[in-house]
Amino acid sequence: MVLFLYNCYSLHFPETVWKKLIGLDDLLEDYQKEQKRLNERKSKQQKIRKVSDAEDEVDDDTEARLSECVDKCQKEINQINGDEEMPFWGIQVFGEQEKLPQLEYPELKSSVLLQSFLKHEINSLVELNIEKGEDFLEGLLVDGWLLNLVYASSCVEKSIATWTFNLMLYSSKVRLMEAACEFWCAILSVKDKADSSSIKIDWLPRYSDLKGALQAYGFLLDSSSKFSSDIDMVPADSITAGPPQNIRSWIKCAAFCCQTRDANIILSTQEAEDLLVKIISLFLDRQLLGLSMILHEATFSVINFFSDEEWSDSCKKVAKSLAYRLPCNINCLRVVESIVGVDGRSKQLRSAVAFQFLVTCLDEKVCDAEEILRLLISKNVKDKNCDLFQMYIYLSLAENWLLFDTMLKDKAAIHELWGICLRNCSCGITITDLRSYASNVRSKASYLLQGSTSK
Amino acid sequence: MEKRRRIGGEGGNRGMEENTMAILDTSGFSSSKVSHHLDDDRLAFLEAVRTASLLPDNGSAPTRKMFEAIFHILKDVDSLDLIIESYQLLIELDKRFPRVYLSKEEQADPSSPSKVISQVIMVEEAWSPFNFGLDSYNEKGAATNHSRSSVDSSGFHALIQEISEVAKEMKSEAKETTFLKNMLLLQYLITVLEGDFLPRNCAYHENMNWTLLRESLLNMLLGSRKIMYKGLMKDCLSIMCNMSQSTAFSEETSYHENSSGELLHEINSAIALALPDVKKSMCTVLKKLFLMIMELDSSRRIADQQGLTTRADGVSRPAAFYCITWFLNLNKILLSNCLQIFDPKWKLEIIVQYFQKYIPKCSVQTRRSSGTINTENFDGVLKCLSNSNSTRSIIKKISPEVVQLLLAYAFQAYLTLSYHVSEGLSTTAEDVKSNSVVEVCKNVVSAFTCLRQQDPGTEILCFGKEALFTAAAILSTKS
Repeated sequence: MVLFLYNCYSLHFPETVWKKLIGLDDLLEDYQKEQKRLNERKSKQQKIRKVSDAEDEVDDDTEARLSECVDKCQKEINQINGDEEMPFWGIQVFGEQEKLPQLEYPELKSSVLLQSFLKHEINSLVELNIEKGEDFLEGLLVDGWLLNLVYASSCVEKSIATWTFNLMLYSSKVRLMEAACEFWCAILSVKDKADSSSIKIDWLPRYSDLKGALQAYGFLLDSSSKFSSDIDMVPADSITAGPPQNIRSWIKCAAFCCQTRDANIILSTQEAEDLLVKIISLFLDRQLLGLSMILHEATFSVINFFSDEEWSDSCKKVAKSLAYRLPCNINCLRVVESIVGVDGRSKQLRSAVAFQFLVTCLDEKVCDAEEILRLLISKNVKDKNCDLFQMYIYLSLAENWLLFDTMLKDKAAIHELWGICLRNCSCGITITDLRSYASNVRSKASYLLQGSTSK
Repeated sequence: MEKRRRIGGEGGNRGMEENTMAILDTSGFSSSKVSHHLDDDRLAFLEAVRTASLLPDNGSAPTRKMFEAIFHILKDVDSLDLIIESYQLLIELDKRFPRVYLSKEEQADPSSPSKVISQVIMVEEAWSPFNFGLDSYNEKGAATNHSRSSVDSSGFHALIQEISEVAKEMKSEAKETTFLKNMLLLQYLITVLEGDFLPRNCAYHENMNWTLLRESLLNMLLGSRKIMYKGLMKDCLSIMCNMSQSTAFSEETSYHENSSGELLHEINSAIALALPDVKKSMCTVLKKLFLMIMELDSSRRIADQQGLTTRADGVSRPAAFYCITWFLNLNKILLSNCLQIFDPKWKLEIIVQYFQKYIPKCSVQTRRSSGTINTENFDGVLKCLSNSNSTRSIIKKISPEVVQLLLAYAFQAYLTLSYHVSEGLSTTAEDVKSNSVVEVCKNVVSAFTCLRQQDPGTEILCFGKEALFTAAAILSTKS
């Protein structure tokens, strides 16, 4: 602007131009004033903004307090509104394990397999001596040659059979243990082949061998004793003791033992019942969670060990034994659910186990279906003292019991009573009921009610 | 040729869907603080699906939405409980309600009443974890709701790569839940591929309808442009190699863990107990994948020859078998490790092919001097190796140790196959029938003897000694 004025002064402009120029100066002045005013306004605005920021802070404060309050309310609501989480299932099935026996096998040295080779001329290449015999056999086992040899010779001599069986159950070398387990599963499954490929095993294990191994692993739920309450429930993430890796082989091998034709040489009906109880109780150990696939297979295999005549008796005995030995809390639901129930026998077992647990939980001398249901109906869920968690377990058990019991399937009276019981629970508990587990019972009952009416 | 059928009325299922999904929905308002609620609800949901669909004799399949929810649980959760539960449920549901199956229908055609025609039946509205975009066979569902959990071909490969990475390192992270989950997830996906492919391939061999295979999930997966086929094969192979090796390593580590007890606290012992088995089944499942791809290759070859394929099918992939041998040639060190993982039939085939590469000149020589020797089978290879001239030239190209290993592995594969032949399981192994076991054992012994003569300095490897022991033991029982 200054430059412009300078230029203007240096030129000789007519009057009019000068006037205009003066006018321009005024304009400049005006502009500067305006600028100043704007600046002032700006600073004023900034001041205002500062003030409003302060107000905002106050807002934030209240907001934080408000949200805190809401959180608190939410927490409180959650606490009353049955926030009690479902307890984790799981009991300590294995305690301290014994030191697994590391056995010696002097009889291996005199095995036909080794002895006949030592005399063979090819030994000049292999240079095997008898002192290294066991190590060499371990190599044969791990690399799979032992199985090839058994296939070719169609027999397993006793020293080899006991040696591999013990490696499977007690060896701390995972590789040996796994190889031995594969070896046993293979020989047990080809043993009964009808054609020329069947093989002869000179030694078969007994149930006591399996049972002994489980004890050595630290199995706590022994058949003779009732589940004692001083065995603590295992918190989900702290693990102190546990079975060795060999438990995997144990489960697999037990399953194969039940499938062979000579299964009843290995175990009697009573022993099979005991085995079934043991395998099902393994489901309660959270450390074995990842093994549930092979546990299911093993359960299936033991269930099919029984002859048709034996089964219904054995099924009841197993159910009673489980209900007697295991705790009647959330764990009994896990037990029932771990019996898959896809085939006839396991459905029957699932139903029987659920029934036995229900009877044990109710702790009354009833075993008639209608009476049990009446007893359930008599429980008043509106009563402040009614244990709703217990009720939840009753409902789940009764559901499993009734669903798979072929005898009760067509009894109208039972269905009617069950309907009443469910309606009691779904209508008796209002949606605003704040007691623990009220919502669990309510939604379980209404879910089951939906299911039973839609049929 | 193909028939599409609905399972039950949609109306009946909808009630079940709403009722069951409601179990999950209640979790809607719970915040992260109460995640145990979420897990509880998810467990209850899985149990409810099991009770509704699997346990009754006439249970109906869960709806798409329910399937999706189960699959989402498997992909999403960290709790071992839920992972195992959802995986098992999915596997069992697939077994019970297959998406594709064969139905043998007699008298489908009145003019030829005796003929049994198997028809492929595809359940139209069945849910599938895969989504390849141009999916023709569940168009409807894919168009309406692109599920966030469904897997496409690049997702499939990414999963395999992830597992392969962890398996390679085998450090402490290998014990993590995610590793276990990924392996189970992959196992499930391959099981789905198998359930889809096998009936289609079976029907294809009867009716030569290539469309069946073109539309198979496996073909769509491998044909996708998003996937590096060779890379996929390589990653699968390296998983298999690393996992079969890792049993050797885990022996040491787990032994120490057990003795010290301190480490046990840190790692979740449930996972430590489960991993070896999951790894083993992982290998089995990958083997199945390879077998399927090879089956698909051979079916494709037939279709190409008969002019059934069109331009839409694209260029044919390199055959899986060549990919495997190519990979093995690249990694000679891995050779022996990799050979362990293959089925005996493949093992024998791969080794014979491998030897063939190095024998051709000597076989001409032998042919002139002592009649014809066919090196295309194990027996021919053995005869070559028993000949001092050819052995000398072979050990110039391959180290004597590798020759020993290959020889021993081939021998073991041969023994296993010959047992299964006598069992009547295997019908294809030409190799095996042609010669008696005793003869082969004798030849193995003489091959080793010859090898030793040519190179007296070499030690016989442990594995070689075991092979010799076995050969000798068999000779002494059979003669």
